[in-house]
Amino acid sequence: MSNGNLTLKETFFRGIWKENPVAYQVLGICSALAVTVQMKTAIVMGIALTLVTGASNLIISLLRKQIPPTIRIIVELTVIASLVIVIDQVLQAFLYDISKQLSVFVGLIITNCIVLGRAEAFALANPPLPSLLDGLGNGLGYSLVLVAVAVVRELLGSGKLMGIAVVPQVWLEAGYAHMGLMTLAPGAFFIIGLLVWLKNSLPGASHEQK
Amino acid sequence: MSESPRAKRIHAVKFALLVSVVCCLLITGASTGLSPLQQANKRLDRQKNILKAAGIITPDGTPSRIQIQALFQEKIETVAVDDAGNFMDPSQGQGLSLYLYREKKILKAYVIPIESRGLWGKIKGYIAFERDGKTVAGFTVYSHSETPGLGGEIEKAWFQKNFIGKKIYNAQNEFVSVSIAKGGIAALPETEQAHSVDGISGATLTGRYLTQGLKENLKQYESVSVKLRQAYQKKTVGNDMTTPPIKETN
Repeated sequence: MSNGNLTLKETFFRGIWKENPVAYQVLGICSALAVTVQMKTAIVMGIALTLVTGASNLIISLLRKQIPPTIRIIVELTVIASLVIVIDQVLQAFLYDISKQLSVFVGLIITNCIVLGRAEAFALANPPLPSLLDGLGNGLGYSLVLVAVAVVRELLGSGKLMGIAVVPQVWLEAGYAHMGLMTLAPGAFFIIGLLVWLKNSLPGASHEQK
Repeated sequence: MSESPRAKRIHAVKFALLVSVVCCLLITGASTGLSPLQQANKRLDRQKNILKAAGIITPDGTPSRIQIQALFQEKIETVAVDDAGNFMDPSQGQGLSLYLYREKKILKAYVIPIESRGLWGKIKGYIAFERDGKTVAGFTVYSHSETPGLGGEIEKAWFQKNFIGKKIYNAQNEFVSVSIAKGGIAALPETEQAHSVDGISGATLTGRYLTQGLKENLKQYESVSVKLRQAYQKKTVGNDMTTPPIKETN
């Protein structure tokens, strides 16, 4: 795969918007459903994934000329798995409560298709700097969707943002009710679906018009 | 490349070994280096759960590290009891550990650690009793491996708050423990309702194992509960339990 014509800036921003991993490539949906009930967990998950994709792309790209093609995938997985374990350990040491809330989902970054997908599709064929930017861009693109979904879900589902109540007490007394559906996984399905639709209907953002 | 297949294979093996060693070192370094911090976090989390079970902090409260330590220091006393339910010196070896919650030297509640089998791994938590020795004051889980959204709901407040006020003795004063019902408790006969909590749909097995685990754990602490109950009945008027009530009955 050749990306010769892309500038570094384009490489970075492509993952965030035009080829957003969730909205365009439709990768990483599973964790996007699971950790978006609250903004806090969504942000930490986004940061963790961005760090992993960035670092794994950088490392794979540095090794790309040495990696024997026969054991390519297993080497990529080993690198990614090690990075995820280190991130998990760091979270347990410094953000214990959040690490408990994220439970298995940090470990499951290993199986997040975005990480392996970027390593395979980009890092193996490109120099370190563009690869790093591509990884970070895709990670941020994923984070952006996660946070957007989490804002809607936390606001409608529990009337809070970042754990702070924003729906005024007067409303609640007047009969306003939280939307229970938003705290459940189906709520995330609807929001992600709507987001993908919204993004692709914006002028210049749809890949179908190309 | 003009490498022979043999050279390629050797290169692959060498490369695999090198990657493994580097990754091993990285993971080992991270896990041993951060271990003291992680242990401290776990200890703090356990203390927070003891306070939660005893009802000192609310289920959705987010006290700071310092607040937790101060509250724990001030209100909770860690003690050990022997098989007969008597308090023992820490020097006499390991007994069953137990946490006493005192408010102005008056015993308010006591907290028992729970370790139960779950569907995928151990469930660890605390159950607190009021000083009558039979009414549950709170229940928390601080570590489990159940499926998020199904058995994992045992760590949620809606499930845990149902334990409050349940009795572990029936009308005949026999030990019955607390059970997790299959479905809602509304369907159960009225005599059972006081000893059961609503189950989690989709997590029947987690409920069954936790019921079993609670029963086994509470049985171990039966002698203590009996003593506390006797002491409580003796002095239902006077609430001045300045010393552990068990010592008074000796």
